[in-house]
Amino acid sequence: MNLGVDVEVTGLCRRFGGKVILDQLNLSCRAGEFVAIVGRSGSGKSTFLRLLAGLDRPDDGDVRVEGKVLTGLCPSSRMMFQDSRLLPWLRVGDNAGLGLPKSERKRSLELLGQVGLADRVTDWPAILSGGQKQRVALARSLAAAPRLLLLDEPLGSLDALTRLEMQQLIETLVKESGATTILITHDVEEAVALADRVILLAKGRLAHEWEIDLPRPRDRSGQGYVNLTRQILGKVLVE
Amino acid sequence: MTHRLFPWLVPLSLLIAWQAAGEFGWLSNRIMPAPSAVLRAGFRLAESGELARHLGISFQRAASGFVIGGGLGLILGILTGASRIAESLIDSTMQMLRTMPHLALIPLVILWLGIGEAAKVFLVALGVLFPVYLNTHHGVRNVDPGLIEMSRVHGLGRWGLFRRVLLPGALPSILVGVRFGLGVMWLTLIVAETIAAASGIGYLAMNAREFLQTDVVVLSILLYALLGKLADTIARWLEHVLLPWHPAHARSLSSSKPGEIP
Ligand SMILES: Nc1ncnc2c1ncn2[C@@H]1O[C@H](COP(=O)(O)OP(=O)(O)OP(=O)(O)O)[C@@H](O)[C@H]1O
Ligand SMILES: [Mg+2]
Repeated sequence: MNLGVDVEVTGLCRRFGGKVILDQLNLSCRAGEFVAIVGRSGSGKSTFLRLLAGLDRPDDGDVRVEGKVLTGLCPSSRMMFQDSRLLPWLRVGDNAGLGLPKSERKRSLELLGQVGLADRVTDWPAILSGGQKQRVALARSLAAAPRLLLLDEPLGSLDALTRLEMQQLIETLVKESGATTILITHDVEEAVALADRVILLAKGRLAHEWEIDLPRPRDRSGQGYVNLTRQILGKVLVE
Repeated sequence: MTHRLFPWLVPLSLLIAWQAAGEFGWLSNRIMPAPSAVLRAGFRLAESGELARHLGISFQRAASGFVIGGGLGLILGILTGASRIAESLIDSTMQMLRTMPHLALIPLVILWLGIGEAAKVFLVALGVLFPVYLNTHHGVRNVDPGLIEMSRVHGLGRWGLFRRVLLPGALPSILVGVRFGLGVMWLTLIVAETIAAASGIGYLAMNAREFLQTDVVVLSILLYALLGKLADTIARWLEHVLLPWHPAHARSLSSSKPGEIP
């Protein structure tokens, strides 16, 4: 099953009050590819992702999804944020099914089961732990079978152990869904563990990229993994 | 002595002292009738049917004024909270009008509408309008923009956004407005009925004053207090029912039942 869309970004520019954040950025993603974006804080990663989602308009250049220039919200994409952004007044099950027609609500319940929260469907979000909230958010963004999945540091606020569990969950569920996925992360190890390609964003441009052709599931103590992680970390620090 | 009864100790002894003062003639009946006298006055008026009539009329005025003013405040608040155009069109006018104490309008309202029902309902509606409007506007405007953004990404249209995000998000604030509004409602009614009325609890009190029936005057005051308390209880109950997800209002969040979307 390959549901993913291909994404083509050309000459993308975004300025805020005269400050250039994205400067002639080019990027193309194959359908179904998993791309991780790393870069320093304030390098414009979130800005870029918002442009891909259609939440913001570029000052110049364009985003093409399946060859079509994006002019509004991208209907085939779903986004996950660093904070879970669950609606406090909807129960977990209704949160996971947000925006879905009644006939497709079953999928959101299935996904809640896959993230291990089948027994929390009727709970209010307020009583979930941070990691559980993010799992609901993951189920919610996958429930609509998105063809483009945008993840803006979804694991940034989780503790190390929960983060590892979530990484495995993301790896399996995303691969299963076949969606083209763009993950922003501060954690270079996470990028190398999950992505087919890692991109370094610096000075508003794509500064470097690495194809990660290590076999999955990835052995985090293997030589290839360790070398790549070190190499990318070095680049992030100098840029 | 159990702790549950403890808070009743002081009011109860005050009541006994009050009754005793009446019995022993320390307190003139003309100044302050004993609790038993007030109670007797209540029974007397209840028997003659007068009590129910005046209560009913006061309640009717309060309710229709509240529905009109509160409804208008709710609609305007949602409009100005959700739409920039509506806000720039209406909000500054509302902010200006709200600085005017509505009770100051009483002479003008009597000139316009006389002392009939319309005048009282108008005053109550005017009084309720502003707290409900302000809190609704504030509530809608302060819904977390992150939630709005998330909902848009998840394919919610304008109506879905309103029904699923803006309205429930604003509801805690709207209910604060409702509670304020209920307070203003009684206060306005007391003033309006005391100044000019031919029926209602306020009239009951003013009429009794002319005949030096202090017991009925005190009874009317207690009735107002009781009604105010009742309104407040209803508002609290509404918060429990409408905000089961809210940590401040829910009795217990974890005792969840499968339920409908609010
Ligand atoms: N709406 C906005 N108005 C003005 N400036 C903005 C806006 N959005 C982002 N910026 C600026 O653009 C720059 C890049 O922000 P962005 O959020 O994209 O960074 P980031 O790479 O995601 O950082 P982090 O890793 O800390 O999340 C920052 O300097 C930020 O202040
Ligand atoms: Mg960011």
